[in-house]
Amino acid sequence: MALARRSLLTLTALAGAATVAGCAKKSTDATAPQGSASGSSGGANLTVFLSGDTNMQELWEKALIPAFVKANPGYSVKVQLDLHGEHDAQTKAKLTAAQSQGKDSGLDLIDAGFVTGLAEAGIMEPISTSNVPNLDGVPADVVTAGKGGGIPYRGSSVLLAYDPAKVTKVPTTLDEVLAWIKANPGQFTYCPPKSGGSGGAWVTTVLDKYLDPTAAEKLRTTYDQEAMKGWSKGFAELKGLGPSIYQKGVYPNGNSQVLELLASGQISMCTVWSDQFISGQKTGLVPDKIKATQISNPSFTGGAAYLGVPKASAKKEHALKLANFVLSSDAQVLIANQIAGFPVIPLEKLPDETQKIFKEAHPDVLRPGYLDKVGNDMSAQWDQLVPGK
Amino acid sequence: MASPPLLLVAAFTGFPIVLAVAYSLGHTGGLNQTTALIAQHQHITDEWWGTLGAYREVLTNPRFRRDLGVTVMVTVVSTSIVLVLALIIALYLRLTGGWAAKLLTVLAIVPQFIPVVIASWSVLMFYAPDGFLRSVFAQAGLEGPTFGYTVSGVVIAQVWCSLPFAVLMCASGVQAVPDALIDAARDAGAGLVRTTFSVILPMAFVPIVIAATFTGIGIIGSFTVPYFTGPNAPTMLGVDMANYFTAYNMPQQSIVMAVVVFGAASLIALAYIWANFRSSKEAGA
Repeated sequence: MALARRSLLTLTALAGAATVAGCAKKSTDATAPQGSASGSSGGANLTVFLSGDTNMQELWEKALIPAFVKANPGYSVKVQLDLHGEHDAQTKAKLTAAQSQGKDSGLDLIDAGFVTGLAEAGIMEPISTSNVPNLDGVPADVVTAGKGGGIPYRGSSVLLAYDPAKVTKVPTTLDEVLAWIKANPGQFTYCPPKSGGSGGAWVTTVLDKYLDPTAAEKLRTTYDQEAMKGWSKGFAELKGLGPSIYQKGVYPNGNSQVLELLASGQISMCTVWSDQFISGQKTGLVPDKIKATQISNPSFTGGAAYLGVPKASAKKEHALKLANFVLSSDAQVLIANQIAGFPVIPLEKLPDETQKIFKEAHPDVLRPGYLDKVGNDMSAQWDQLVPGK
Repeated sequence: MASPPLLLVAAFTGFPIVLAVAYSLGHTGGLNQTTALIAQHQHITDEWWGTLGAYREVLTNPRFRRDLGVTVMVTVVSTSIVLVLALIIALYLRLTGGWAAKLLTVLAIVPQFIPVVIASWSVLMFYAPDGFLRSVFAQAGLEGPTFGYTVSGVVIAQVWCSLPFAVLMCASGVQAVPDALIDAARDAGAGLVRTTFSVILPMAFVPIVIAATFTGIGIIGSFTVPYFTGPNAPTMLGVDMANYFTAYNMPQQSIVMAVVVFGAASLIALAYIWANFRSSKEAGA
């Protein structure tokens, strides 16, 4: 009897120990979703779910939502942020489970990289110009890439950022960039593809260089393991670059960590998101002397970001109304000003000064990245093949 | 028979573990259905008991083996350093005392109040190429080492974060040794070293084992420290598990790794249980 009690005590103590140890090492978790009941008189309480950086939170909380509520009294909109999309897999599972049980997940509008994937799986409400009228005029292939349920609402592209003081002859093609990196060891880096899109675009672009064009095209739309075998040459090239990378092969986690190395002068060239670069210069995080450019042959990837409305949401019409508002010319100007996102609606619908900034970079000419699932495998293979000795 | 605490542990710890292990063996139906719907590269069983496909895949993966080696190495090295440092501080406090010893103890406990994320980041900055350490070396015209993004950096940060608990445990254990015993040993002609190894450390054995096991278990499953301060490769299994689970969308492989880490942590826990039994036996229970 005494023995039994003692072992039980030990067991409880062990469980307690595990909890304590777990707490000490774990970073803070995302807050639980808050239930929201729909309001009366045409309005509603909506929850927008964001998977991304804090700049997205600011865009929604400080620009888009106030403008929407002002134009549509009676609405109140809350933001729920998953920083860097760390819990994307859980969010996807949650939305999938809600759909299969026909229950409201508490999230009404989703702004995340996985929206198109869920749209393809039939979990997002199908969209067209009939329920989102402002889609009229958005380039057709950008809408098609949304798999029927993704509403494209802003574009962005990855650029090559550099310090003109140290980079005298700016590379204009991928081959020139590769040659520059080898000639200037320790002055370039990018983030692992899993930790940020700027690194993902760099890896995708180098892999594409060695793929035959039909295989590369296929990986944009289908999960084709045969086509992925063509990556080996590209990964060999990336591994070969290792000794020429910052600190002989350090790839910091995250887009902004890499940009910070460039801003503090520890490196002189890196890949960067267009919106992050432009807004960084506005806030002073990126010094004015740093410049950014697009390369060619092939160019870095980019594309549209998509919104989605879960089919199971009880407030679908209200969420679609908000999505439609985001595509209005007023909201598109807000996006352009706040985070330097490329507008997706025809430029002529926008004021002159906004037109001027984006003349050179319309999302319909942006080279898209790989399909979500293909990208996951690319991240896994990069981690396996590139870093380390 | 089933007491409430046991039911609680079973519901919140036991059941999810059973579910996860079943999934790792290829049982993708039932409550694992939602996870299995989205995951990539799954091994699905067609036997009643399951398949070892996922285990085979992970255990034969050279990257996993390398990272398992690094995890064990970091755990052993960090725990040893933490124990040695904690014992030095505890013995200094016990045998010498005074304000300097107290100050040292307080300093060693400060990291307890600093979140691990912040601590990891500051360790990284401190040892960065433009960090404090290299700046000091540069003042003297020397080239200092860079520990940011290296396995050494991970060990430094682990020691930094784990030291407070070990110091608290060891100090209280060593303080509890009665003065009379130490004086008796000295009267019998034992020197400082003999007193330490034959009287103080054996008397404080259980708290020291607890400090070692808790430190070891904390480090073997850690995520934040290696994620921030470590290299991209090799890395510790905590980071690998998070990558497989979210970034690569391969939860099954992630769970297989968790099972391996669970096994390793259980071995450490055995030492803890053994020490506990020993102490209750000594107490005459």
